[in-house]
Amino acid sequence: MIPWRDYSGRLSPPKLIVFLALFAPALWAAASYPLGMLGSRPLTEAIHQIGLWTLRFLFLALAITPLRDILRWPSLVLVRRMLGVAAFAYVMIHLTLYAADEAFDLRKVASEIALRIYLTIGFVALLGLAALAATSTDAIVRRLGRRWSTLHRIAYGIAGLACIHYFMQSKLEQWEPTIVAGLYLWLIGYRLLAWGFAKRGHLATGWVLGLGIAAGLLTALGEAGWFWLVLHVDPMRVLSVNWTFQAGVRPAPVVLAIGLGIALLGAIRWYRQPAGRRGARA
Amino acid sequence: MFIKRKRGWEIPESEATPEAVFHDRRKLVQAMGLGVIAASATPGFIAAAGAATSAPDPTADLYPAKRNETFTLDRPLTAEKDATTYNNFYEFGTDKDIYQEAQALPIRPWQVKFDGMVEKEMTVDIDDLIRKMPLEERLYRHRCVEAWSMAVPWTGFPMKALVEFAKPKASAKYVRMETFSDAKFAPGFKQFWYPWPYVEGLTMAEATNDLAFIGTGIYGHPMPRQNGAPLRLVTPWKYGFKSIKSIVKITFTDQRPVSYWEKLQAKEYGFWANVNPEVPHPRWSQASERVLGTGERKPTLIWNGYGDFVAGLYDGLKSERLFV
Repeated sequence: MIPWRDYSGRLSPPKLIVFLALFAPALWAAASYPLGMLGSRPLTEAIHQIGLWTLRFLFLALAITPLRDILRWPSLVLVRRMLGVAAFAYVMIHLTLYAADEAFDLRKVASEIALRIYLTIGFVALLGLAALAATSTDAIVRRLGRRWSTLHRIAYGIAGLACIHYFMQSKLEQWEPTIVAGLYLWLIGYRLLAWGFAKRGHLATGWVLGLGIAAGLLTALGEAGWFWLVLHVDPMRVLSVNWTFQAGVRPAPVVLAIGLGIALLGAIRWYRQPAGRRGARA
Repeated sequence: MFIKRKRGWEIPESEATPEAVFHDRRKLVQAMGLGVIAASATPGFIAAAGAATSAPDPTADLYPAKRNETFTLDRPLTAEKDATTYNNFYEFGTDKDIYQEAQALPIRPWQVKFDGMVEKEMTVDIDDLIRKMPLEERLYRHRCVEAWSMAVPWTGFPMKALVEFAKPKASAKYVRMETFSDAKFAPGFKQFWYPWPYVEGLTMAEATNDLAFIGTGIYGHPMPRQNGAPLRLVTPWKYGFKSIKSIVKITFTDQRPVSYWEKLQAKEYGFWANVNPEVPHPRWSQASERVLGTGERKPTLIWNGYGDFVAGLYDGLKSERLFV
């Protein structure tokens, strides 16, 4: 299917906008490079930026199904495939830039991927994305039928590996990796809850609210627990900065705010529905 | 008699950037019309550099110091813009571009405390200290543990002179150095779970080696804050994190100091941290380095090319993790 057309073959402006937006981060990096805006180690900076966008597109792709159901927005699913394919395109740019940083010494690239565990993990995630991208044409989706859905569930495993890869490459700064990990918990949690408690394809607002709170709480506990284990810092003190904001906005409040925001939007969408269709509240 | 041996990594003086060109490079850049582009691309740098250099430095009259020609480079000097805008200084943030945040560091008045196993503990004003020391300029390579490098003209004095000034007792085995740890102007301290203050250490033999240097300036003027003003360590045969910045305390001790990074990740950042391309960091190879601002990747040299000066220090220490 042409990315900017809907299922009936008509031009879809929202799809076209998303399609073009997916190019923006790569074009931005490509334009910044010759202008010297990527700093003194431009290749490293480009590798980091493109890698981060890979992760963002992958997570957005995974968020489409929950958001479609919670926000009662069926057409959202139209952009899911292009988000996933964009994640694959970006991870290939990410790897190519890494090879460029190693002066295209492919033996060195291969040995580094084999020797450094975080690169090995990242490479396995890349292979997974390649398999998903290769099975994303209309013909193959049709041919695989149900098995397509089963196969594409490995996207959750790939996102988990991508999280670990992101954490492991970071030297000290773990703010954004922690947020990503918290959102990963939310995504996994939603799939489990929807599988167990959804009625007519919808999870009640109470569950979505509870999920947002739980994801925020687990992020806070995970962070405090990590610093307690590794640096022997009093976990209560670390927990307290989540609500005193003494160390800026910590990851847990960010995850909590995103979870609560989604629940709130879901509640508004449910309330504004015709009364007869509100049954899904359960 | 002084016999000068040419070392493998030395280049003829003719290949180094001539000093006149080096000191006039801003004019050169402006003449080429590139100043406009540089200014529009990084307005923050120009502003920050202005703030750091416009405040009158009480020791400004000492710069530029005479170059010590013993130390030559095998590569061109790194552009000042790269060396002063790409910095690790975790007290001010975890990004490399902390040069603007670092301008909040008050570098006068500044005192340095000498304590531990010394004849007499003392606290010295930075300007008195700098004026007692024999300032000179040295061109050194600098190799970061993150596999990037630069070549920098430091101004400062041999660390040996500082040790003699402190008069340590014969029982002292190590020098422990400490960075400021004031939460008011440096946002990094808000993340109190990290093992502040920044601490580093050397053995007495390392500290009194000819190569160990205390930096007070760079590129012929007093040290910018992001590079560790007003007083920092420079140990070019070790990974960059050993070269502690903005020192406020120097302690002589018989206990091996445990550094900031060693407390965080002892497996990855040890006490010795000598450069060796054969010994990878647990997460990446150290075989080569990306030279800041050049797009070039160069093979890394053991002891960062300074083996003639320092390899002998480690003869009896083969059982130690010398390269982590």
